Amino acid sequence: MAERKQKGRIIFHIDMNCFYASVEQAHDPTLKGKAIAIAGNPKERRGILVTCSYEARAKGVYTTMAVWEAKRKCPELILLPPNFERYRIASKAIFDILRTYTELVEPVSIDEGYIDVTELVKGREAIELAETIQKRILNELDLPSSIGIAPNKFLAKTASDMKKPMGITVLRKRELPNILWSLPVIEMHGVGESTAKKLNELKINTIGDLAQASEAFLKSNLGKNGARLKDRANGIDNREVDPNSIYDTKSVGNSTTLPIDLVEWDEVRKTIDGLCERVAKRLSAKNLAGHTVSIQIRDADWHNSSRSKTFSNAIYKKSDILEIALDLTKKHWHGEPVRLLGVTVSNVIDRKETAEQLSIFNYEQHAKEEPIIQVVEQLQKKFGKEIISKGMKEKKKPNYESQTSFSKDFLEDHKD
Amino acid sequence: MKFDIMRDRLLDGLNDVMKAVSSKTTIPILTGIKIDVSEEGMRLTGSDADITIQTYIPVEENGEQLINVEKPGSIVLQAKMFNEIVRKLPTNDVEFEVSEKFQTRIRSGKSDFHLIGLDSTEYPLLPELSEDNQFTVPADLLKSIIRETVFAVSTSESRPVLTGVHWQIKDGELVCVATDSHRLARRKVTLEHLPSEQSSVVVPGKSLTELSKILNDATTPVDIVMTNQQVLFKTNDVLFFSRLLEGNYPDTSRLIPEEYKTDVTVNGRSLLQAIDRASLLAREDRNNVVRFTTMQDDTIEISSNSPEVGKVEEQIQVSSLVGEELKISFSAKYMMDALKAIDGQDVVIQFTGAMRPFIIRSVHDDAILQLILPVRTY
Repeated sequence: MAERKQKGRIIFHIDMNCFYASVEQAHDPTLKGKAIAIAGNPKERRGILVTCSYEARAKGVYTTMAVWEAKRKCPELILLPPNFERYRIASKAIFDILRTYTELVEPVSIDEGYIDVTELVKGREAIELAETIQKRILNELDLPSSIGIAPNKFLAKTASDMKKPMGITVLRKRELPNILWSLPVIEMHGVGESTAKKLNELKINTIGDLAQASEAFLKSNLGKNGARLKDRANGIDNREVDPNSIYDTKSVGNSTTLPIDLVEWDEVRKTIDGLCERVAKRLSAKNLAGHTVSIQIRDADWHNSSRSKTFSNAIYKKSDILEIALDLTKKHWHGEPVRLLGVTVSNVIDRKETAEQLSIFNYEQHAKEEPIIQVVEQLQKKFGKEIISKGMKEKKKPNYESQTSFSKDFLEDHKD
Repeated sequence: MKFDIMRDRLLDGLNDVMKAVSSKTTIPILTGIKIDVSEEGMRLTGSDADITIQTYIPVEENGEQLINVEKPGSIVLQAKMFNEIVRKLPTNDVEFEVSEKFQTRIRSGKSDFHLIGLDSTEYPLLPELSEDNQFTVPADLLKSIIRETVFAVSTSESRPVLTGVHWQIKDGELVCVATDSHRLARRKVTLEHLPSEQSSVVVPGKSLTELSKILNDATTPVDIVMTNQQVLFKTNDVLFFSRLLEGNYPDTSRLIPEEYKTDVTVNGRSLLQAIDRASLLAREDRNNVVRFTTMQDDTIEISSNSPEVGKVEEQIQVSSLVGEELKISFSAKYMMDALKAIDGQDVVIQFTGAMRPFIIRSVHDDAILQLILPVRTY
């Protein structure tokens, strides 16, 4: 990675406003000015709102609200099913616009990303550039956005959140104590519910408390993340804008909210089976294998739990993922009604890099292939490593297999 | 019950039985240690239901009086607390007195503890084993048998029987085998007076590890009794019972090849060091792979390559290299464990192919045999 100046960087965080809802409104202008929401499947209860327009928000509707509840708050709410392909096309168009300014574009999700404009602008020009970009996205794609301008990623992200929609906010490190420190820790990017709970137990309630806590104390209670959070609370963040980060897939997972709460093992098993099928297909589309399998369970009371198991051999076959996922579920599910199930394979690597430790139970199958392996090795020795390899390198085109909003599969669109 | 005892001897006995006591037990009485005092001596018993250890301290040893019994009896005391108290008592003379309702008074010097004990009749009885199939192994040999095999047991519960060591008595030999399915360690010992009847048990690896801590390094005899559910190891003053693992142990004899395609004889220590160096660049989370390649002129090469870390190559002169060319990858950790078990002697490594198990043994005999399954790279 190229050395880049850490001091005096100028970083933009571009955050699309109510992205899915805005794309729908751009696509069908008659929806403009109306309260609309995207829900998993508006007919089934499978439905919390994935996102909603500002018009809906004004009526007290919010993302993750249950469909029935939203309908009660706002009877005129227009519910639309998600159209992920449409969102992915829009997302690609946004990042294409950003790439006309610099190569240093890092998409982080379908509707947000960072760009490093240090080499492009000085001082106040940054605001003009942000205005230009924002206008272009609005004029060319009919999509509103907010842009945060700051010397690092954390501050830029915090800034883009401060004014919505169509905001442009500059956040300087020295302004942080005034703006952030009085807020509860949960308001900080990078602090989730469980971290917030842990911090509160340690009597760290505000972001200011976190900024002033002793590093050793945080490290001993929260590990590395503790020190990182303290830095963030002080406005320190040395992460670079890395255009290549889209290539580091860390995990592949699928989850589903169930139309009715499941209580029967057989139904749970079937759902897990389906999830494993999808995860295996997506792993195969990306030519990946992973060392860790985890399951996520959300019960009817919204208690989330997740369990994982790590193996020295990387896994990618559906049957292997399924066996582990079922085993984990059997151990950790005690019959309480299940609302959501998820299966994730993480710690992933390219399948070419995998190495499989053979066992006394399976070596004979591999031994059968010894003659083929020898031929391949001889060919490689003679003509070079690239001449031939076992049939797993050809790239499969990613199909739109993933149906989840938090999926990072859209990143595939940014790779050539 | 009333007696007094030398603190250091009590502490020695406690140290042994504490190895069986677990804080995770689900049976409340087993958080305690049982003390039985008779006119002859004292027995201490600790157990986690899987392992039970009993030590014996005689009233008198080599003319020295260790215990003075005024009134025999039994009591169960909270293990952790009791152990800590005895460890910290101010003088070497300890006086015990149990009165009504299991009230236990422990006095030493000017310190005076009152503990609430538990009813000893609630403590489980020791397993009763018929001692027909008994044989004897010297303590130091038993310790090395354990050291050479137990490291290879599985740590995963997915096949519970593999978390134990398979002990088999057959044709005048004791054969001990451990495998986690990726590597295998086998130790054969010829013993006198083995039971003629063929028998086999699977002893939990954890039990053997604990047993090994209690055994001394001398040749003192250890009597071993194997039954269907329990195994008992007996020394002069310790009884060590362990539950056995149920289930069929896989037939491992078929894994050991009868013919080999590549034979290498090499100094175990220099190979161990080369592998240790190569493993510095091998990623632990990716099976810790090193590559072994035969070269010309009695040379082998050990190498490792991690794209994001770097690579290393090292050539080693071997005493002999016979047979086909070979490139094989395996876990550096398994190889190092195996070489350590054989302990620095010249070793013979015999291969039958890149996807098949290979064995490592001393040049002298196959009393200690290590087998490793290779890693397949893509």
